[in-house]
Amino acid sequence: MNAKNIQFLRMTHLRGPNIWTYRPVMEALIDIGALEDFPSNTLPGFNQRLTAWLPGLIEHRCSVGERGGFLQRLEEGTWAGHVLEHVALELQTQAGMQTGFGKAREAGPRGIYKVVIRTRHEAVSRSALETARDLILAAIEDRPFDVKAEINRLKQMVDSLCIGPSTASIVDAASERSIPAIRLNDGNLVQLGHGAQQRRIWTAETDRTSAIAEGISKDKDLTKQLLSMCGVPVPQGQIVDSPAAAWEAAQDIGLPVCVKPTDGNHARGVSLELSKQEDIEAAYDIALAEGSEVIVESFILGEEHRLLVVGDHVAAANKGETASVVGDGVHTVSELIELQINSDPRRGEEEDFPLDTIRLDEHTTSVLELKRQGLTAESVPEAGRSVLIMRTGNMALDVTDEVHPDVAAQAVLAARVVGLDIAGVDLVAQDISQPLAAQGGAIVEVNAGPGLLMHLKPAVGQPRPVGQAIANHLFKPADTGRIPVVGLIGDGDTTRPATLVSWLLHLKGLYTGLACADGLFMNQRRLQSHGGMDWENAQRLLINRSVQAAVFESDARHLLAEGLPYDRCQVGVVTRMPKAQGLDDLYAGSDEKMPGYVRTQIDVILSHGTAVLNAADDQVADLARHCDGSVIFYADDEKNPRLVAHLAEGGRVAFWRDGQLVLSEGSRESLVLSNKRPAVSRLLQDGRLGTDDMLIAACVAWALDISTDLIRAGVKSFGQHTSH
Amino acid sequence: MEVSRIRALRGPNLWSRHTAIEAIVTCPEAERSLSANHPIEQRLRRIFPEVGPIEGSRSGQAPSMAHALEKVTLALQAQAGCPVTFSRTTATEEAGVYQVVVQYSEEAVGRLALELAEKLCQAAMKGHGFDLESALAQLHELDEDVRLGPSTGSIVDAAVARGVPFRRLTDGSLAQFGWGSQQRRIQAAEIDSTSAIAESIAQDKDLTKQLLHAAGVPVPLGRPAQTPDEAWAIALEVGLPVVVKPQDGNQGKGVTVNITERTAFDNAYATAVRYGTVMVEKFLPGHDYRLLVVGNKLIAAARREPPLVVGDGKHTVRQLVDLVNADPRRGTGHSTSLTKIRFDDIAIGRLHAQDLEPESVPEKGRRVILRNNANLSTGGSATDVTDDVHPEVAARVIEAAQMVGLDICGVDVVCESVLRPLEEQNGGIVEVNAAPGLRMHISPSYGKGRDVGNAVIDQMFPNGATGRIPVIAVTGTNGKTTTVRLTAHLLKAKGLRVGMTNTDGVYVNGRQTDSGDCSGPRSARNVLMHPDVDAAVFETARGGLLREGLAFDRCNVAIVTNMGGGDHLGLNYITTLEDLSVLKRVIVLNVEQSGMAVLNAADPAVASMAPHCPGDVTFFALDANQPVLATHRAQGKRVVFTEDGHIVAQKGKQVLRIPLAQVPLTRQGQIGFQTENVMAAIGAAWAVGVPWDAIAQGVATFISDIQGVPGRFNVFDYRGATLIADYGHNPDAIQALVQAVDNMPAKKRMVVISGAGDRRDQDIRDQTKILGQAFDEVLLYQDACQRGREDGEVIALLREGLQGAARTTYVQDIQGEFNAIDTALSRLSAGDLCLILIDQVEEALAYITEKVKASGV
Repeated sequence: MNAKNIQFLRMTHLRGPNIWTYRPVMEALIDIGALEDFPSNTLPGFNQRLTAWLPGLIEHRCSVGERGGFLQRLEEGTWAGHVLEHVALELQTQAGMQTGFGKAREAGPRGIYKVVIRTRHEAVSRSALETARDLILAAIEDRPFDVKAEINRLKQMVDSLCIGPSTASIVDAASERSIPAIRLNDGNLVQLGHGAQQRRIWTAETDRTSAIAEGISKDKDLTKQLLSMCGVPVPQGQIVDSPAAAWEAAQDIGLPVCVKPTDGNHARGVSLELSKQEDIEAAYDIALAEGSEVIVESFILGEEHRLLVVGDHVAAANKGETASVVGDGVHTVSELIELQINSDPRRGEEEDFPLDTIRLDEHTTSVLELKRQGLTAESVPEAGRSVLIMRTGNMALDVTDEVHPDVAAQAVLAARVVGLDIAGVDLVAQDISQPLAAQGGAIVEVNAGPGLLMHLKPAVGQPRPVGQAIANHLFKPADTGRIPVVGLIGDGDTTRPATLVSWLLHLKGLYTGLACADGLFMNQRRLQSHGGMDWENAQRLLINRSVQAAVFESDARHLLAEGLPYDRCQVGVVTRMPKAQGLDDLYAGSDEKMPGYVRTQIDVILSHGTAVLNAADDQVADLARHCDGSVIFYADDEKNPRLVAHLAEGGRVAFWRDGQLVLSEGSRESLVLSNKRPAVSRLLQDGRLGTDDMLIAACVAWALDISTDLIRAGVKSFGQHTSH
Repeated sequence: MEVSRIRALRGPNLWSRHTAIEAIVTCPEAERSLSANHPIEQRLRRIFPEVGPIEGSRSGQAPSMAHALEKVTLALQAQAGCPVTFSRTTATEEAGVYQVVVQYSEEAVGRLALELAEKLCQAAMKGHGFDLESALAQLHELDEDVRLGPSTGSIVDAAVARGVPFRRLTDGSLAQFGWGSQQRRIQAAEIDSTSAIAESIAQDKDLTKQLLHAAGVPVPLGRPAQTPDEAWAIALEVGLPVVVKPQDGNQGKGVTVNITERTAFDNAYATAVRYGTVMVEKFLPGHDYRLLVVGNKLIAAARREPPLVVGDGKHTVRQLVDLVNADPRRGTGHSTSLTKIRFDDIAIGRLHAQDLEPESVPEKGRRVILRNNANLSTGGSATDVTDDVHPEVAARVIEAAQMVGLDICGVDVVCESVLRPLEEQNGGIVEVNAAPGLRMHISPSYGKGRDVGNAVIDQMFPNGATGRIPVIAVTGTNGKTTTVRLTAHLLKAKGLRVGMTNTDGVYVNGRQTDSGDCSGPRSARNVLMHPDVDAAVFETARGGLLREGLAFDRCNVAIVTNMGGGDHLGLNYITTLEDLSVLKRVIVLNVEQSGMAVLNAADPAVASMAPHCPGDVTFFALDANQPVLATHRAQGKRVVFTEDGHIVAQKGKQVLRIPLAQVPLTRQGQIGFQTENVMAAIGAAWAVGVPWDAIAQGVATFISDIQGVPGRFNVFDYRGATLIADYGHNPDAIQALVQAVDNMPAKKRMVVISGAGDRRDQDIRDQTKILGQAFDEVLLYQDACQRGREDGEVIALLREGLQGAARTTYVQDIQGEFNAIDTALSRLSAGDLCLILIDQVEEALAYITEKVKASGV
């Protein structure tokens, strides 16, 4: 191959912690062919074109470690694989998928590289890499390239494929607290935590959001009735079945009134502050178009507010904007809207603009609003006259700090009366910093699954950490939603210890999942006998709501090809350093590279977790330095120097002495097992368990606070599946 | 006969514990005695033979048309299928005016029954005809319409059987169980803890399957397809035969099963695609089963069969269907265990698939299926197999429910037999349903019905809980409000969030949530609805009790402070003290068996309520030697009395004392009626287990100021004179006030009084008669509100009462309450005492407070 080309040989989605990082990455194996002879500084005009198309590259610090670092590398001359990494990352950033991490490494043969970028969605990163390749080739060949269109395409992919910003705010907040997350569908259904400790969210709904409460909240009349019974101020109202009845009800209730659908969504079909018969009758039809029934309510003077109730407190509060224009005696109302409102740079048609543009033909309520003021879209208001255009617009202004405690208490009570754990409470008040009763304010609606964006990105005021509030609502302060996870990796010798550990956890009374070379097991029941270590199968243990503890066996192939099926573990075990042989297709390289890969198993151990390492294998024992938690060393021989040293430093060790399995810490020793006991010796003779298997399992059990009595009983009863 | 003033008594009431319709019926002379062979009676019987005997209120007394109306109203409901038994007619003091009371199970049905009964009676009187059948049909239809459906009904029945209070929140199936902070809600077969997310997951069959697969539950593999070709490819991949169905369907719409070849497959695809995205799945051989999981238990299992007929070689399919539908067990609605098979286009389409026409004669023994789904509502059948379910099958089904996150879950299983594990027979779970129908388990077509309702109630109220909170009802002539407030204060001392209703408003956990006279059942019901209420104290006034009955079925404690000479006599057919006692004792009659009536031993009308209490009785009286109390005490039962400057609560050897000096409300025990109120509240707090320390602390910290108990013996200091404001408005209250004031030293004694116009003349006169013995100066005033009296009429009555007064030396008439207060204040000197009997409580207190404040500056 002599053309200047970049060829993708393979793209692999590493879905869990992997040899590169903790987080999922896309790993591309590329062949840069002839470009191997052309570092960036040798390609005429390449660097200029690249930086002109992607000015954001200046932010990439790269190995230099400061702003402009990557540009410096470009000037000095760097190779296409490295450029591909940075361009793909920059495209992802521009498309709105924030990912920092990337790496490019030679894979061995000349011109073959592994380029790795952090991903939040496989398809997006795949496309980002492909687009990056095309962009680089266009830059090399000095061909035009529509960067903006490509970024827009990627942006659309992000919008439709990645979890939405509201859900992301919760997931990110959970992640800050080390609570793991697993996305369960293509939408916003996400599991936080693992197995039996998990909670589920679906946008701003939680698994405790009651279906009945949601039904109640959709029935505005019932909601109001229930709130009123509990002394929460609500507007008086009547359901009506004709424009004439609407006018009659309005007179009963007292003018002015508002007219709206009973089961509508958002502000659609709502008309406010109506006093004239014709306006009220017209509003009836507008409301009917958006719902099945129409309600006439007393109009509550004041501005609309949205209070986000999470559990027993108000997490954020916003105030609705009122848009008005001021007449100049020259322009029509429509023109004034364009000049004075839509010209605001915060307004736009797309979702990420904090404010909507206002188009009279789309806002029938605005037309009524104008009519009420004796105007139409074509009227020319006299100079200085203020014209109200809309008030049911965005809840754009943050007022969280102003909410009076009494108002907050009423909002929280309203959510509780309806039965919602998370609710958007709409209320109308003239001054949110004063109690409702005195100002005649009222709660007008309680919404299930409220939008969070208005609080995350208010047009005016401080963003509120509502994702954090929801994460804290779901998980108590010290709770990370984790179950004990044990991961083992070795050189084909980990299936039996994994099975034994799973048996010990089962005897401890935990519903235990086991993913290993023998298949997939739930609570000692085999679901399948193949593919137990495959990422997708293994992850089922963590999704299962019954699972209270999970044991995962892995091997070098699965680690390199897919990553680990869990993000962090309580106990990580390495028994023997696997060999590179047979992993050529994965460009694993030589045996020396293996510890660098296998350390992943130790890197993912939680800070309060434990590494269980074979002291007799130097490469394995050396991994101890990567462990955030504590270390238990094991060896057959009590006199193993690492064992002796670790014990002297106050560490925990395990070994065999005179046919006795000993767990030792400081001066304390527990004798767990004797290989002379018939039940034990039979297992050893039959080859169903080896002495190492017992040592390893005992160490893991020790790390999980399983008593020596139970370890002893568990080893002896291994293979006797007496219960379900 | 004229029927007027119809009321629905929605709780225990003057007449019975049942919900009932009450009407005032006026009969002219001629309709007041119907003998057995009276022509009207005979015509009535001809129209409605099932009416049963029409008897008078007492034996030997001839019945009136009102009695006939009563019996007809009851019998109409009973004939229409309503479970009602109680009715009663009572003659009032006015000749020919009767109160007719008839039980109902549904208010709307009761009202309609009364309306129809009146028409029936009129027809009988006038000799016209009456279409009984259509009237009964109308009632039956309304009852079917308004009463709860079988699923919700079964849960409600279980709740009621356990004693869990129940209330419907809408005309639909939304209902509340329990009260206050213990309340739970259900809607059909869904409970308030049923998660909306879980429900959405169950709606998405593909996601459900994926999750069940993750949980290791066997599911038929497959996935949604966008085109018929893609769908067919999936079919080949998972292996024929397959099922084709809509991804988000319900009720089995658009589902085709057991498809083995392309043509049938394409037809099936076309059917399913009408309901949305199409799903292709491996077809599991065997029967359809529905297993019901509640919480983490398998409660019931049923084998479901689609509507089918079996050929006999003689009849056509259509005839066979008619024969099956002739089975009397097959009904049309949702209420029977079998429903008639529908012979419609869908059925005919299904016949075509079996190469049959409606007029074909299938050979003997051939099973002809008329629909693919096995729903009862389209003629399918359900056979209970709960006892057959293998534990491994149960385990998978429970895991499925838990994985999706549904606490009440209908799991659809397809397998040859539930007797063996699913994995052994290629069985699997095909669907998980939120809000499952319960009818097939409660009353299956064949086999044993299962108590599903009880399982749901157990799930919501574990360990036999009933969702009740302590409810204390307070009634009496005087002292109710103070007793209510003090009792609530004592419960608060136990750490409970208390809901309270009284004549000033509704209060929840110290916060006023409603204002005005809230002593009726509506306010009490609102308190029982409030999620933050751990205990409730209700002032229970006569008005609401007469209008609607009680807001609760049973209370833990009933307090009757006193009856005295009664109040408001002569209104609403309550004319004598005895009538009033019967009314007020309704709260005593409806005390829990484990509950307590706290009764004033010194008031004979109150003491005589004791035998009517299903629970225990605590007597209180100032005097330890009061015979009723002394007897109760000697029997080792609970009593509260005063002795040597202490309030003493005693039960046998258990004796607890609180010095009166530490109960500010009683002013060292000087104010007798307040001491009685305190004893009543102590008795109630004791009954619901408030610790003694908390009680002692509670009575010590309760202050009768205008914040604590507005209008109840609020004492002010005005330039060295003592000012007492009170809302006393009947002779008993005034007598008690006079006694209290007598104990307070004073140079000159003055009283300011107006009379309430809605009392009897005698009651108004008696008030000043008492005051004339105790006060030097009496200022009489009248205000705008004369409650139906002529201008000056009340003042005149008050003056009459003062004739020959022993002590009073000065009397003055004044127009307006504020004027009267001003006049009184101007006549006071230091060391004097003035009792102001206020009328407009809030305004008058505000006015006095302002004057007192100004005087201090």
